[in-house]
Amino acid sequence: MYNSVKKKFKTLVLAVAAQGLLTSTVAFADESKYGFGRTATQEEIAGWDIDIRPDGQGLPAGSGSVADGEGLYEAKCASCHGLFGEGEGRWPVLAGGEGTLAHERPEKTVGSYWPYASTLWDYTRRAMPFTAPQSLTADETYAITAYVLYLNEIVDEEFVLSKENFSTIKMPNEPNFFEDDRPDVKNTTCMKDCKDPASIKVVSTIAGVTPLEHLEEGAAETAAEAASETTHGKAIYNQSCAVCHDHGVAGSPKTGDADAWGDRIATGTEMLVKRAITGYVGDEGVMPPKGGNMSLSDEDVAEAVHYMIEKSQ
Amino acid sequence: MKKLSENTTDLLQEIKTEASELPKNKRRDFMLNGLKLTAGTALATTVGQVAASQSNLPPNVPEWSKTLGRGVVSVPYGLPSSYESDVIRRTVEWLTADKIASISMTPLHEMSGIITPSGLHFERYHGGVPDINPNEHRLMINGMVDRPLLFTMDDLMRFPSESHIHFLECPANGGMEWRGAQMEALQFTHGMLSGSEWTGVRLSTLLQEAGIKPGAKWVLAEGADAAGMSRSIPIDKALDDTLIVFAQNGEMLRPEQGYPVRLFTPGWEGNTSVKWLRRIEVGDMPWEHREETSKYTDLLADGTARRHTFVQEVNSVITSPCPEKPIQGKGLLQLEGIAWSGRGKVKRVDVSLDGGVSWQTAKIKGLVLTKSLTRFSMEINWQGEPLLLQSRAIDETGYVQPTLAQLREARGTNSIYHKNSIHTWQVQTDGAVNNVQLG
Ligand code: HEC
Ligand code: HEC
Repeated sequence: MYNSVKKKFKTLVLAVAAQGLLTSTVAFADESKYGFGRTATQEEIAGWDIDIRPDGQGLPAGSGSVADGEGLYEAKCASCHGLFGEGEGRWPVLAGGEGTLAHERPEKTVGSYWPYASTLWDYTRRAMPFTAPQSLTADETYAITAYVLYLNEIVDEEFVLSKENFSTIKMPNEPNFFEDDRPDVKNTTCMKDCKDPASIKVVSTIAGVTPLEHLEEGAAETAAEAASETTHGKAIYNQSCAVCHDHGVAGSPKTGDADAWGDRIATGTEMLVKRAITGYVGDEGVMPPKGGNMSLSDEDVAEAVHYMIEKSQ
Repeated sequence: MKKLSENTTDLLQEIKTEASELPKNKRRDFMLNGLKLTAGTALATTVGQVAASQSNLPPNVPEWSKTLGRGVVSVPYGLPSSYESDVIRRTVEWLTADKIASISMTPLHEMSGIITPSGLHFERYHGGVPDINPNEHRLMINGMVDRPLLFTMDDLMRFPSESHIHFLECPANGGMEWRGAQMEALQFTHGMLSGSEWTGVRLSTLLQEAGIKPGAKWVLAEGADAAGMSRSIPIDKALDDTLIVFAQNGEMLRPEQGYPVRLFTPGWEGNTSVKWLRRIEVGDMPWEHREETSKYTDLLADGTARRHTFVQEVNSVITSPCPEKPIQGKGLLQLEGIAWSGRGKVKRVDVSLDGGVSWQTAKIKGLVLTKSLTRFSMEINWQGEPLLLQSRAIDETGYVQPTLAQLREARGTNSIYHKNSIHTWQVQTDGAVNNVQLG
């Protein structure tokens, strides 16, 4: 079990006496407290306390316009969420869907479903862009939030969002949420003749959507092989590159697709590594520097590229 | 869950097209062939195995009895037998766009008792599994408290701790099947569910240490992962049985389960048990973050949505037989299953063999603990007749597990979360088991 002091046992004899004294002074200060841990400083709290509430509590000073948001959104968000928030491939849709919530196929988006604009601000800074969370400045977050609200026709194109005017934004679907009132159904404990057997209709499954390869013969070996072939490059790839390159998102060449990679590989590994590190705007789309994960070392990126080349030859 | 939620409708459409493009009944053919192998008398695979290992069967003395085995600590951290290599978590690739914000399921058909081995506990996260150095991890408590606090892991582990056995379930468990059955395996219909012994400090102990200010009504729990996962928890739950957990099944948490420390809200939807916990903030209103507005809210047919739907209501499923575990042959059959309720103990489980026309009460096996998996069994004499197997659990509050028709009537088919309806397995005359729904 975790214990950061486990290696210190040999030197403990003297320390124990001294520490014992210290702890007891703290404990005596307030009998109802254990006295473990220490006071968090205002500076420490400021660095971590990033949450925003519907009433605006937590919003930092700053502002951003729809116009500024457009450029930022196109550079940092559109590759996955689409230029108009329509969602590239299978990535989340951010705009549209108004009036569809009661439909057979509802489309839940920021505009059609989300009850509070604060959620968008909070989530964008906290978790987006997907490959580089907590990288946006306050002003950038205001601008991108304004732009996503604009894509949803909640603000107009002249709008400048700021800490001061944040509470004026009302989301159209806010009134349609209500508190949990379950249990909302009541079954009985009938034991006999609970229904007419003739009324039972058996509806089967839609065939072919369950991954069942493992139930076929020889599956275990394949799984074991797959599990054993882990390399550093693959790990980096999975962590920072697969989001785009696994499926060809945002115009990226799909890993394993020899046609898409042929010409690229022909330009030489060195060039590909360089472009993966510094970023690159090609005919197909934008390859962000280090896939957007600036915490990767150049070597990490090189190994990921080697792995991609190996898989795509 | 998130991706399920948002993409379910598209997915279902995709599925329909995909399904219609697939060679018809590929799956069924496979299942039937599989069954001929297992349920019949002359079993091809078994025969093969027998041929290969004849020399290890009586009257011969097996290989492993005539040679010495491995010595101690040749495997310092023990692993399952190599013959168990297919007992693993699995995902359904089409559910999510990538593997980083995704889910994997527990092989419930291979589980015994009420504890899931930690390495098989289902996974669900939104920004990948962080690799956290416990010496550099801190838990902060701030907001409406007398004294904001910062704890190291060593600090946390000096507080009095408790251990409790509880289930953990993703509220999207079963969520792919509101419109119709589509997962031909128990692992995929119910596998976003696991049970563990959790050890940690009560959140109330830490809140008392910080001193809660008057007027506090909610706490925010926030993770240190790339998703910065955040959920609002009412103060009553925070001061009740909520734990700050550092150990699972006797060892430190696995990275996928929140190493080195997570929140644990017994009986509540899995997402509220925030992993890689870095901060608790005390406040007077909910934060309404993305995972409690866009996701984890339950859309009804009329377009309104239920929110703060925390409790996992009573649920149950038969785990043997099931699609992965067809009936082996005629004769006495030990039917088994699990039941669980987020409101307390499971009081009773009834089983129907005829699609809910008549019911019999099953036997409860082993421990009956609050907010924990509870195992039930029933012995039946199967003579090759087709069955429509169902289980119906009742918890100590008297709440009875509903039928799918009742849930659909009340909520429509777009709720995604909290589908706890009675599940039906169709047993064919050859012992094969299919996932079906009753119309
Ligand atoms: C590499 C792809 C990618 C990029 C780039 C990206 N996102 Fe996302 N975004 C995602 C994924 C994946 C999710 C869902 C995460 C999950 O499942 O929890 C998501 C979710 C969201 C959501 C929530 C959607 C919902 O319905 O709940 C919002 C809002 C969002 N992103 C905004 C942004 C913004 C703003 C940017 C640019 C600053 C951005 N994203 C950049 C992949 C991306
Ligand atoms: C947000 C999506 C995205 C992510 C994440 C991403 N890429 Fe790319 N990548 C692209 C796109 C788009 C292109 C194609 C650009 C073009 O040719 O128009 C590309 C192209 C490339 C190329 C080919 C460059 C060339 O010269 O043809 C390499 C190599 C590459 N990426 C490596 C990586 C590595 C390594 C990572 C992870 C560290 C990564 N990518 C992450 C989008 C992405």
